[in-house]
Amino acid sequence: MSPIIQVSDLSFRYPGAGADTLRNVNLTIERGDFVAVVGGNGSGKTTLCKTFNGLVPHYWAGDFAGEVIVDGVDTFESGVAELSAKVGYVYQDFMNQLVRPTVRDEVAFGPINFGHPDHAERVAEVMEQLDLEPLAGRFTWALSGGQAHTTALAAVLALRPEIVVVDEPVAELDPARAHEIYRSLQWLNEELGLTIITIEHHAEFIAQYTKSVVLMADGAPVWHLDIDEAVNRTGELAEHGIPAPQVVQVCSALGVERSPRDVDTAASLLTSRGLTAAPVEFAARPREARCVVAQTVDVHHGYKTVAGDVLPVLRGLNLELYAGDRIALVGGNGSGKTTLLKQFAGLSVPRSGEVVIDGVNTRSRPPGKLSEIAAYLYQHPQQMFLKDSIRNDVALFPSGRKFEGWEAIVDEVLRRVKLAEFADRDGRGLSGGQQRRATLAIGLAMRPKLLLLDEPTSSLDVSSRDDVTSTLADLAQVIECTVVATHDMHLVAEWANRVIVLEGGEVAADVDPRTLFTRPDLLTRARLVPPQVVMLGARLGMDPLPLSVDELVASLHAGANV
Amino acid sequence: MARKQRDILSVEWIKLELIRTAYATRGGLFTIMDPRAVIIWYAILAFVPWFTHNVTVLAGLFVLGAISVVIARVGPLVLGLFIIGLGFEIIYLVIASLMFGGNWETLIALGVLNLKLGAVSMASMAAFVSLDPEKLSDALLSFRAPHLLSFGVSYGYRMLPIMVEEFNTVFDGYRLRMMAPDKPGFLAWRTIVHWGKMAVLSFYPIFLNTAKNVRTTVEALETRGFTYAQSDPRGRKLRLAYLRITPLDVAVLATTIILVVGCFWLGAAFPVYR
Repeated sequence: MSPIIQVSDLSFRYPGAGADTLRNVNLTIERGDFVAVVGGNGSGKTTLCKTFNGLVPHYWAGDFAGEVIVDGVDTFESGVAELSAKVGYVYQDFMNQLVRPTVRDEVAFGPINFGHPDHAERVAEVMEQLDLEPLAGRFTWALSGGQAHTTALAAVLALRPEIVVVDEPVAELDPARAHEIYRSLQWLNEELGLTIITIEHHAEFIAQYTKSVVLMADGAPVWHLDIDEAVNRTGELAEHGIPAPQVVQVCSALGVERSPRDVDTAASLLTSRGLTAAPVEFAARPREARCVVAQTVDVHHGYKTVAGDVLPVLRGLNLELYAGDRIALVGGNGSGKTTLLKQFAGLSVPRSGEVVIDGVNTRSRPPGKLSEIAAYLYQHPQQMFLKDSIRNDVALFPSGRKFEGWEAIVDEVLRRVKLAEFADRDGRGLSGGQQRRATLAIGLAMRPKLLLLDEPTSSLDVSSRDDVTSTLADLAQVIECTVVATHDMHLVAEWANRVIVLEGGEVAADVDPRTLFTRPDLLTRARLVPPQVVMLGARLGMDPLPLSVDELVASLHAGANV
Repeated sequence: MARKQRDILSVEWIKLELIRTAYATRGGLFTIMDPRAVIIWYAILAFVPWFTHNVTVLAGLFVLGAISVVIARVGPLVLGLFIIGLGFEIIYLVIASLMFGGNWETLIALGVLNLKLGAVSMASMAAFVSLDPEKLSDALLSFRAPHLLSFGVSYGYRMLPIMVEEFNTVFDGYRLRMMAPDKPGFLAWRTIVHWGKMAVLSFYPIFLNTAKNVRTTVEALETRGFTYAQSDPRGRKLRLAYLRITPLDVAVLATTIILVVGCFWLGAAFPVYR
């Protein structure tokens, strides 16, 4: 193999910054490699990747020292336009990368700008490769997350680059979709020989798809290793905010030296060691289910489309939510999760049927009054930051309604979500995990009986996700009933005591989490990917299934002692 | 009063109407024409009214405008706003001219101006409701408008639905979290003030969020040759290669010119001046 990217003694400092973002970077990436760049926030991952296509130093002009050679071209001597033909870049917030009204036009934008006479063939080719043909005429703002990401990738591929950089593809997509994206990247890597570089936090994706790993810390690579070696450095990775995949955690807890890269390898490793699971009594998740907090009676709802007809979203829902319920609302895109949450919040009322919350019919009160019983938190924290500081955002509701001692409530809530020291900052400047906790604080200060959350753990790295999950678990004392719309099966496995599966606006199942994972048909239909530990448990023939690493390990230990 | 799901005159409806208007989803004669021909057609109807004071000619052009609005299938929101605007203009003119010592004569003179503005407005509605962002931006590009303007037009259209959605979300956030007045007050003035306040406040988070999002957009434009295309004419040629003037375009333009000439002929035969 020959190197396609060669970085020597590279240092870079953004204009006006006090310290170097990249410091003495030396790195070689081989042609045809599939590299994961990992590292904590502020380790310089993104800046490093922006040196490959010349955005640094040509667009972000700062103090640049050293040399970056991409496919034989010195990036300092070249320009963004020339380098873009060699390096494609898909952003983490790929929605903002789409600049044209329709999908086909978006894909053609690059080739036409650069005046390639074969632009039509290029567009047709990538559209076919990525199965985008059916979406060609769709408006880019109406695409789902996965479709938009594929469009952004296609638009970049239409310039026929040798290298594709993808920044955190998993962040904004549901797990099933993220696996699809990774499979297309793998295909591009193996079949077309492209060099793929991803910035990634999730160890399970790294272990499953990539060929080598670059660990960044303090603006320089700590090491660049083959994937088989990298997965064994679990301690170092965990230190830099990338906890090992669950299968690796299980194996190391059982003293297996080799770290498996996926569930299949883990299963065969364990069976080859003669480790079998013995049935263990797992802790049950009790539900009281006595006192009804909210209820839907034959609720039908739908939206008008641009064409003028009504698109039905909810079709005859009959649900009762009880005090003590921790509900995970799951289902594919368009199954009606968000619409149902908005119905409970009273933001809209059903076309037919009734929604009753704490004895109050939502038709009888405006949303501003209903929010005193049911608090709805949006998926994107940015949209909940209406004021110039977290404290003012949290205070907006209780102070406006003149709750007794509202100042104390605000302080207490901020302390509970561990944001007291950031209280006077604007929410937009916080990290992803802090932003989510800030929105939780906003919801808590509303002191609702019913708390409704839309995807509270999406686009978080693993440790912030665990933070949010544990904050949610703490809330049980103050909130009667919590409903979370989510794709995150870790959250389902670790937190929920009731799972409602929506499909096509109807309830496909209403079960406890352990039962959910025993129904593969449901999982596929709702586009869910169970946590690795559940899949491993199933592969080992366990019944009941384990929901956490501890449960699986306990049961394997019990099996070893028989 | 019990709440009900409304499909007309609701926020949701305004959102849909804006999108239908911007993206020319209703179809109509002008959507199948070459965008350059549509712009020329518009230029004719927008300029001609300013060259005459003859009420007969203006009335004829007004009727032409009204017919185009029907042919272009202009939606109820835009049309409604136009009619309300025209109606209020007339009421305001009546009051103003009577208060400041004018008489019906001045009112008629001002009415003629309104007739002119009405004809031009209707032609604008018909033309721009029929041009989707793509076509409009390509037509501008082919008329040698600056690269940035033509891109800005199409980008603005792409952002429109997103901005409207964002506004709706933030506004709903205020509805849920900000305390509404206890009593609506005389003619619900408290409620109206409250809604106005929420609408204005909603812009603060939207500006900040957009400023953050656009950074990616600008970088992405750079990597995909947007700046490059400004100095290299090949891109422009490729982009415009699909534009074709068809017999339909010629026929529509010819008919329009004949009808406009007809209006002037009618005006010469039966002149009415004020």
